[in-house]
Amino acid sequence: MPATIDKSTGSKKRKSTKENGVPSSKRRAVAEHESTESMAKILELEEQISESRKHYNNIATLISMLSKEGSGINPDLAVAVSLCRVFSRLIAGGNLTETNHAAENEKIVVAWLRERCREYQRLLVAIMRESDASSQATALTLAMRLLNERATHIPGDDNQAWTSGLFPNIFEAVIEARDGQALRSEFLEKFVKPYEDVTYHTFMQVAAYASTARSTEILEILVTLLSACDSVPNPDHEFENFYSKTSKQNKKLLSVNSHKKRAQDAWLAILRNNLSQPLRKTLLRIMVHHIEPWFARPELLMDFLTDSYNVGGATSLLALSGLFYLIQEKNLDYPQFYPKLYSLLDADLLHSKHRSRFFRLLNTFLASTHLPATLVASFIKRLSRLALNAPPAAIVAIMPFIYNLFKEHPTCTFMLHRVIRDDEAKAEIEAEGMEDPFDPEEPDPDRTGAIDSSLWEIESLQSHYHPNVASIARIISEQFTKQSYTLEDFLDYTYQGMVQAELGTGEKPLKKIPVVEYQIPKRIFTDRLLEEDGGIDTASGSLMRALWDFS
Amino acid sequence: MPPSQLKQLKASLRDSGVLGPQKSKKQKRQNAKSGANAQNRAQRETALEAIRDRFNPFEIRTISRNKFDVTTRDSGSKPAAGRFRPGVTKSLGEEKRRQTLLQEMDRKNKVGGIMDRRFGENDPTMTPEERAAERFARASQKKLRKDSMFNLEEEDDDEEFTLTHKGESLSFGGGEGAQDDFEEELEVDDMSDSEMPRKRKRLLDDGEFEEPGSQDEEEVPGRKKSKHEVMQEVIAKSKFYKAQRQMAKEDDDDLREELDKGLPDLFEMLRGVKPPPKPEPPKSDIASMNPDRAALLQGKSQVDTEAEYDQRLKQLTFDKRSMPTDRTKTEEEKIEEEAQRLKKLEEERVRRMRGEEVSEDEAEAEEEDEEDDEDADMFEEESLPDDAKDFGLQQPTTTSHTTSRPEGIDDEDDFILDDLVETRSDASASFDEEDDDMLDSNEEFEEEEDEQEDELINGFTLPDGSKPGEGAATSDMPADGLAYTYSCPGTHGEFLEIIKDATYENLPTVIQRIRALHHPRLHSENKAKLGRFAAILVRHVAYIADQPEHPPFAIVENVLRHIHSLAKTYPESVSLEFRAQLREIATERPLNLRPGDLVILTGVAAIFPTSDHFHAISTPAHLCLARYLGQGPVNSLSDLCTGTYVASLALQYQTVSKRYMPECLNYILNALYLLSPEAPPSQPHLGSFPLRNPAETNSQSQSQSLRLKFVKTLTLRKLQFWDMTNSTTSQSETEDLKLALLTTLISLLDTASNLWSSMSAAPEILEQAISVLQHISSSSSSSSSSTPSKKTKKLAQLPPSSLTTLQSTLTNLTTHLSTSQKARRPLLLHDHRPLAIKAAIPKFEDTFNPDKHYDPNRERAELNRLKAEYKRERKGAMRELRKDANFVAREKLREKKEKDAEYERKYRRLVAEVQNEEGREANAYEREKRLRQGKR
Repeated sequence: MPATIDKSTGSKKRKSTKENGVPSSKRRAVAEHESTESMAKILELEEQISESRKHYNNIATLISMLSKEGSGINPDLAVAVSLCRVFSRLIAGGNLTETNHAAENEKIVVAWLRERCREYQRLLVAIMRESDASSQATALTLAMRLLNERATHIPGDDNQAWTSGLFPNIFEAVIEARDGQALRSEFLEKFVKPYEDVTYHTFMQVAAYASTARSTEILEILVTLLSACDSVPNPDHEFENFYSKTSKQNKKLLSVNSHKKRAQDAWLAILRNNLSQPLRKTLLRIMVHHIEPWFARPELLMDFLTDSYNVGGATSLLALSGLFYLIQEKNLDYPQFYPKLYSLLDADLLHSKHRSRFFRLLNTFLASTHLPATLVASFIKRLSRLALNAPPAAIVAIMPFIYNLFKEHPTCTFMLHRVIRDDEAKAEIEAEGMEDPFDPEEPDPDRTGAIDSSLWEIESLQSHYHPNVASIARIISEQFTKQSYTLEDFLDYTYQGMVQAELGTGEKPLKKIPVVEYQIPKRIFTDRLLEEDGGIDTASGSLMRALWDFS
Repeated sequence: MPPSQLKQLKASLRDSGVLGPQKSKKQKRQNAKSGANAQNRAQRETALEAIRDRFNPFEIRTISRNKFDVTTRDSGSKPAAGRFRPGVTKSLGEEKRRQTLLQEMDRKNKVGGIMDRRFGENDPTMTPEERAAERFARASQKKLRKDSMFNLEEEDDDEEFTLTHKGESLSFGGGEGAQDDFEEELEVDDMSDSEMPRKRKRLLDDGEFEEPGSQDEEEVPGRKKSKHEVMQEVIAKSKFYKAQRQMAKEDDDDLREELDKGLPDLFEMLRGVKPPPKPEPPKSDIASMNPDRAALLQGKSQVDTEAEYDQRLKQLTFDKRSMPTDRTKTEEEKIEEEAQRLKKLEEERVRRMRGEEVSEDEAEAEEEDEEDDEDADMFEEESLPDDAKDFGLQQPTTTSHTTSRPEGIDDEDDFILDDLVETRSDASASFDEEDDDMLDSNEEFEEEEDEQEDELINGFTLPDGSKPGEGAATSDMPADGLAYTYSCPGTHGEFLEIIKDATYENLPTVIQRIRALHHPRLHSENKAKLGRFAAILVRHVAYIADQPEHPPFAIVENVLRHIHSLAKTYPESVSLEFRAQLREIATERPLNLRPGDLVILTGVAAIFPTSDHFHAISTPAHLCLARYLGQGPVNSLSDLCTGTYVASLALQYQTVSKRYMPECLNYILNALYLLSPEAPPSQPHLGSFPLRNPAETNSQSQSQSLRLKFVKTLTLRKLQFWDMTNSTTSQSETEDLKLALLTTLISLLDTASNLWSSMSAAPEILEQAISVLQHISSSSSSSSSSTPSKKTKKLAQLPPSSLTTLQSTLTNLTTHLSTSQKARRPLLLHDHRPLAIKAAIPKFEDTFNPDKHYDPNRERAELNRLKAEYKRERKGAMRELRKDANFVAREKLREKKEKDAEYERKYRRLVAEVQNEEGREANAYEREKRLRQGKR
């Protein structure tokens, strides 16, 4: 067996030297010769170690061969592989276990071997941190194999190796590795995803690692790592795929709850870290599908969601749904919910890409018929104000929404139809015009005075340039005979969709031949024949000609 | 206790007179003579029938009781007086089954057999006699047909074609006397000629036919041999009629001749003067009479006459009735007429702008009915869910469109367009095309006549600077290096090939020549060709605008005007091409408009009415503009230039209809915000428009550079179209451009405020604009806080002209604001008539008929009707099936019984036989036994 491995590693070695790009064939031949020579030497040293304990010093030689300066750069991988074999053999042979009734010199040997083993581990971790991608991957594999050997054969070491010994070092190295993209994906694909015990311990490590403040990049790496493990086990899930055999005896590893607990801790540790805005948004976006399922107690998310909601802007929008879930189900008390919601209705809302998501939620929040009419009126008025600057797709969504609100809260319909009975007030309005009692600056939706106002904005939108939008705006001024509009049908309009609805996707004969302007204009761009009109351009298109110089 | 059945029967028979005392012979004879016999018989029949019915209580079933006493008008739906005859129907059904089902049963599981193809064998409606008669008729006909070829003795129809052997006829009996009884019959019939008249008389006489019964019964046995007789009879009858008709005709002819003879005398008497002897009848008479007859009279050939006839007919159709000629109109009248026409067109346009002519509530009412079919296809591709469809999103589009389209715009005929409906300008356009052809003189006249038209012709000829008359064209042709004739291009590539040598200046001439050469009047295919050409021009105008060397706008304008005039004749192809262009813009570069796209969009404004509520081209064009304004980039000055152009286009689209366009306002305000010399404070927003800043990638430096900096020589100039592609390099030029943009945007804001000041939400709209403008004016003139070093310069920085624009716009806006504020009233949108509560009181029907259904819902009524029918049919079918099954079971049982009986009989016979034999043997045994015993 070792022979074949040797061959393979040898060839790998050759390849890597080739890749290094030796210019002349002669030198390459020399290099090859050298490499085979060193191969032979390594093999010999290894053989000797396995033959007798006399040659244990070879281990030190090999370790020094592995890395010249004690750093992880340009490691000799063949040495690393052979060292791994040596240590595996030694561990399996019980040479690293200390027995109580052993002789003094025996103990010294064991201690010395342990020291060497630690040194080797340190070197592997260093390789992972600093070396190039292929060596990193090899080092990772070797380290994990060593970890497995240790956990299997050294009694009492299995827990220690995972929780405090080798594995945390490996994990840290993986996370912090330089150019570690490939290494991390290797770690994820080969170890974390297939083996449930590795997943479990990774969660633990993440929790421990993220308990201290970390930089944004590290946190992003952690988030991608965690969100990759998205298969939440069912309550009756049986854990079977373990990396090390001893894991089967560990009761904690077999229980679903402890798994979830670890994941929850890991996520919480990340959420409690100092998050940047983009990362916070990413987390909020994956909240429902990736984070929340791990949580046995979603209440733990309260702090995070409340904080996010208080940030404002798009972050608040994203936090809304989670927060609402907590308010509804977990009895979270959020005193200023509606004022906060009201403050979310700002100039950018109707233009944001989260618009339809927000409208769905807003529809839920304002669904209650027990809300005060003043509050609902404020929302209606604010929305219609915003509609004055909104794209058609947003107006199309706002109108049915407002209609539904009016239907639910008939008190608000004074905003559509207000007859002034008081003669004095009437005379005043006739003389002065009506001052809008709505105060757009007021943050409290209960005190905006919107209910005393009128929806002139909506009436103006009835002369919107797009015929469909105009006719939707007209529903407000017609009799409210329909029970309610399904909001969902109005949410997902876009410019592209609207243009396509008008133009179709392909050439199609027109149902009706369009009308052509009956008069051919005298001029479109130029001042042609202007003198005939007395030098004053009043024909159609004069606006363009006045403002632009077409030459 | 009632008497026995027999006694009852006897009594009733006596009562009804069926049984009575014997009549004497004399009486009988008398009766037979007077026909009372037949009457008696009929009476007796009915009486017997009644007695039968009475004695069989199950024969007639009456409806036992009426649930309600109802009088209805149509009692026909129920069987008369509610009498059913279950026995009769039952036996009928039984009979029918025996004929059909039993046959089938017998045939079941049997293969082969003989198909009876004899005539009428499977027709149950024919009596055996009829069958025989028909068969005979057919056989004889067949014989006749077959014989006709070799029939030597034509005279003797009745003679059979007889087989001969050595000259002697082969007949069974041999000799004259022994004939077929069949032939014998014929002989008999032939001889009984005396019967014929009687029969004919019977046929002719209607009165006799009314007598049913006895006569017929007598006839029936005689009919068996009367087939031939009938044939004879028919032949004789037709001969008789023919003779009669002939006679009548002859009589008529005689009479007419007599009258004709007297006619000249009559004329003479009428006139009192003797007319001169008539010459030949004049030609006109001949022309007016039937050409066939005329030909006969004149001895002309048929073809000649027909030709002549056609010619004359044509002459007649082209003949004009004499009419008063149109008075030459005075100048004022013409102007008046023109004004009227324009007014009408304008009214139509306004109606389209309002969207529909049907009033609002009517539209509402119609919505429900129409939306299904119309919306269904409107939304097919979009697959819109229900609710959005529900209130007829697209409703006004179709209705308005159908109703408001002026009838002139179909490409039926150029003439019609020119003469009747379309504008003078169009007429002149077509004239312009014709002038190369032949109508020079006319053209001159027209030119003088109509100022507008004159202008248009000049417009067309402007580029090559001379009138496009024949001579003029020849003269400048060599100079231009242009060909006289061009083929009409089918694709844009072909067109590019054609004009590859021509300069931009010559393009209008080329187009004009192509149009003239392929005028639809010259060839029928030209119409399609020019339609394609119009589409190519649309493509080309975008193409030339995209060229790096900027074509002069006079040329673009000219091409657009050409397109417009073509669009009047070929609206479909032009609008399809415009739609294709818009689609290309929308799918490929919605946020990256090229100059060509802008030219197309400008062309839309010129060619199509942008004020329409819905228009197949303007509506998508609006969307394209709005999309660019709402989402387009604002990264550089050229972006802003494009945006400003688009914004001004958008406002131009709305000059007439004054619709609100949020994106336009947003863009103008945002651009002003970006261009303003200083960044406004971020906290109190200037308005509720969303702020868009240049993309992050261009970072701070770029966004800084968008802000207007004050350099010493800041001169105000007009924005140029090509500013959007040119990248200015020098600092001062850039600043000039910024200033120009700023000023243009401010004046756009002015225009926009004029457009929208009448809206009820104008204060909200205007307030935003005012706050932005105030910020600019403060930051450009008075702000001294920011940098003290520039403080002194600042005041003088903005050139006075743009400063005045700013100020005047500001005052204008403020005035608009205050007036609209004053005009503001609380909304009174729901002044509707209250809806009627649905009443549940049933409608009273005056002429109620319980058999009719008064369901107001047609569909439901129809459905119910179908359901009832289905139920009835199903019941009937089930009943029939059940009866069938019963019948089958009965038949099977009968068969089985028969079989069993047969078996039993056989068994008995065998047993008897065996017993017989056994008995004999037993006897023999006994005997033997006895003998042996005796022996013993």
